[in-house]
Amino acid sequence: MSTSLTSRRAFLGGSLLFVGGMALAACGKDDAVKAGAKVTLEQWYHAYGEAGTQQAVIRYAKEYTKANPDVAIKVNWIAGDYSAKLHSTLLTPQAPDLFEIGDFQYVDVKNGLLAPLDDIIKGQEAEYSKASLDSATADGKLYGLKMMDDAMVLYYRKSVLEKAGIAAPQTFADLAAAAKKLTSREQKGLFVGSDGIGNAAYLLLWSGGGDLLDPEGKKVVFNSPEGVAAISGLKQLHDDRSLLLDFTTDWYDPGAFIQGAAAMQWCGLWALPAIKKALGDDFGVVAWPKFGDTGQAVSRIGGWFAAVNAKGKHAEEAKKFIEWLWIKQTDLQKDWCVSYGFHVPSRKSVAAQTTEFSSGPAKDAADILANTSRAYPNLWNTTMDSAFAQAVLKIAKSGGDAKSLLDEAAAKAQAELGKQLA
Amino acid sequence: MSDTATTGQAATAAHPAGVRPGRRGRRTDWRAVGAFAVLTAPTVLGLGLFKYVAIGWSFLLSFSEARGTVDLGSWIGFDNYTFLLKDEAFRSSMTGIILFTIFIVPVTFGLSLGLAVLLHGMRRGRAFFRTSFLIPAAVSYVVAALIWKMSLFNGLPSGVANTIGGLFGWDVQSWIASTDPPLYWIVIITVRLWLQVGLYMILFLAGLQAIPVHLYEAASLDGASRWAQFRHITLPMLRNTSVAILMLILIAAFQAFDEFYNVFMTTTGNSTAPVRPPLVFLYDTALKGQDYGVGSAGAFLLTLLIVLVTLLQGRLVGFGRKD
Repeated sequence: MSTSLTSRRAFLGGSLLFVGGMALAACGKDDAVKAGAKVTLEQWYHAYGEAGTQQAVIRYAKEYTKANPDVAIKVNWIAGDYSAKLHSTLLTPQAPDLFEIGDFQYVDVKNGLLAPLDDIIKGQEAEYSKASLDSATADGKLYGLKMMDDAMVLYYRKSVLEKAGIAAPQTFADLAAAAKKLTSREQKGLFVGSDGIGNAAYLLLWSGGGDLLDPEGKKVVFNSPEGVAAISGLKQLHDDRSLLLDFTTDWYDPGAFIQGAAAMQWCGLWALPAIKKALGDDFGVVAWPKFGDTGQAVSRIGGWFAAVNAKGKHAEEAKKFIEWLWIKQTDLQKDWCVSYGFHVPSRKSVAAQTTEFSSGPAKDAADILANTSRAYPNLWNTTMDSAFAQAVLKIAKSGGDAKSLLDEAAAKAQAELGKQLA
Repeated sequence: MSDTATTGQAATAAHPAGVRPGRRGRRTDWRAVGAFAVLTAPTVLGLGLFKYVAIGWSFLLSFSEARGTVDLGSWIGFDNYTFLLKDEAFRSSMTGIILFTIFIVPVTFGLSLGLAVLLHGMRRGRAFFRTSFLIPAAVSYVVAALIWKMSLFNGLPSGVANTIGGLFGWDVQSWIASTDPPLYWIVIITVRLWLQVGLYMILFLAGLQAIPVHLYEAASLDGASRWAQFRHITLPMLRNTSVAILMLILIAAFQAFDEFYNVFMTTTGNSTAPVRPPLVFLYDTALKGQDYGVGSAGAFLLTLLIVLVTLLQGRLVGFGRKD
C-alpha cells in the first residue's frame, strides 16, 4: 500500500513537474521573442494561401525590430473564419494590438474598436484610390490603411472567342449573347460562381447605374428602376442556361477557366499568374460591361486594410509600425504584392514602379482597377447582404418579380441601416 | 444515502459482537465528502462556467441590443424576439426545419430499422455489413458534405451523378444550384442518411439481439407469418429502443447545420443558400453579422421549439413511461 502510494505520489509529482517545466519552457520561448524589446505588439493576419507570405510578414516584423529595438512584433497567422475569430477576440483582453481587415464594417468604428489613422496618412491621401479611402472612412475619420488592392475582372479565352467570331464583350447584351453562343455540353459560356450568383448581382447593379446606398449613406437604393432592370439581367443568363453552375471551386479560383469548363470567368487578379502559366497568352481581361446605354463598365476592388486596436495598450506603437511598413517601406510593399501572390500595390507611386503591371493583361487589369473599381460601403453588412442576396436568388432562379422582391429586401436593409446609424 | 446504509448493514453482519456500527453510518464521512468534492468539482465548475453561465449570459443578451459586443446594458425588452418573429427569413428557416424534420425523421427511422432487421436475419457476413454501414458514422459531416458537393453532385458532365444520369440519357444537371426543381434536397438528404443511418442501425441491432428467440419459436409454432411476428413481437419488444432513437433523430434533425452550411457555402458565405436551417441562420447572424442579441434570441426560440416537440413526442409515444 505504502509503496503504491509513494509511486502514485511520485507519478503525480513527476507529472506536475513536467507540466510546470513545459509552462516554464513556453514562458522562456516568449521571453526570447521579447529579448531586449520593451513592448511586444500582437499582430493578426488571416492565413494567406500563397506560399511564403507568412515568412514574409515575420521578416517585415523583424526588420522593424532591427530598426526599432524597443518594439517587437509577434505575428499570429489565423486560419479559418478570420473575421468571426477576430471580432470575438477583440471583445476579450487577448485582443491583438494590430490586425488586418478585409471588408470594412462601420460597426467596428461605432463600437470604438479601431483607432483613427488620420495623423499617419496626412498628406498621403492622393496615393490611394478613392474606393479604398471611402471604405475605411467613417464619420470623417480614416480607420484603415490599404495594404494592397485586389482587382476583380472578367477573364475571357481569346482563342475560343475568336473561333466563334466574338469580340470581348463591351455591353451586357454582348456578354449575354457571347455566353449563350459559347455554351455547349462540355463548356459553358460564363462562370460567375458555383451558385450562379457570386458577385454578379452587385456588378449588374453598378453597371446599370444603380448603387447600394445613396451618396450620403442614409438610404438603401438598390431597388431603383435602374437597379431592378440590371439585376434582372442575371435571370436572362440563367434562362439561357449559359452559366456554369456547381463547379467544384468557386469564382475566386481560376480552375473552371483554366480547365475550359467556362469560356469566360469573373475572377481576381490574384489568379493571373496561375492562368498565365496554364494558358500562356491565350486570355484577356475586361471590366464587367455596362448595362444598357446609361450604364458604365465596373469592377470590384478588394484587398486588406491594416488597422489598430483602439483599446490596445500599445496603440501608438502599433500606428508607428503601420506607418513604417505600409507607407515608408516601398520595397517591402512591392515584395508583399508581387513576390508571393499577385496584387496591385495600393499606393499609386509604388504601383507605377512595379514592372509586373507595365504590360499585357496585368496592365489592363490595373487600369480597370484604377478606372472602374467599386467597393461595398462600410455600412453594408452581412444582414443587408443576406436580404439582397435572397431577393437576387429568387429573381434569378425562381422567376420572382424583381421589383417587389427588391423593394421588400430594400425595406429590410433600410431597417438594418437605421439600426447601425442609431 | 443508501450506500452508507448498506455499509452499515454489512458492518453489522461482519461484527455482531455488540459494536454499534449503525451510528457510524449516520456520521458524516468527511473524507468521502472531500473525495466527492475533489472528483466532481472540475466537472461541476467546468459545466457551470462554460455551460450555465454562458447560457444565462446569452439569455440576458437576448434582451439587449448587442452588436459587436457581448456587454450587457442596453436593454430593449423583447425587441430581438419580435424582430425575429416578424422576419420572413427566420420564419421560413423555422418552418423549413419543421418540414425537413417531418420528412427526415421517419425516413431515417425506417431505413435504420429496416437495415437492422435485414442484417439481423442474415446468416453470413453480418459482421462485414454491420461494419460497412457503421463506417460512415465515423466520417466528419464537413468532409462528407464536401465529397457530396465536389465529387458526387458537381455540375460537370464528369460528376458522378451526372455520369450515371448520362447512362440514362439525362441532361447534365446542376444538383445544388438549381432551385426549380429543388434538386439540392437530393444532395442534402442522401448525405445525411449516409452519415446517420449506420449508427441508428447498430442501436436497433442491439435491441433486436436482446429479444428472446423463444418468442419467435413459439410464434412460428402457432403459425404466425413473418409480418405478424415483426408486427407483434419485434416492434413491441423494440419499443424502448425505438423511442430513444426517435428522440435522437428528432433532435439531430433540428440541429442540422454542417451539411447545409457546407453544401451551400460560397466565397461570400451562405447568403445565397436556398434553405438556411435555424443554426445556419443564427451562425450568420451572431458570428458573421456580430449581432449577438438577435442571435441569442433566435437560439432560445429554437430551444423552445425543440423542447416543445420533444415533450409532444414524449406525450405521444410515452418516453420514460414504465411498461
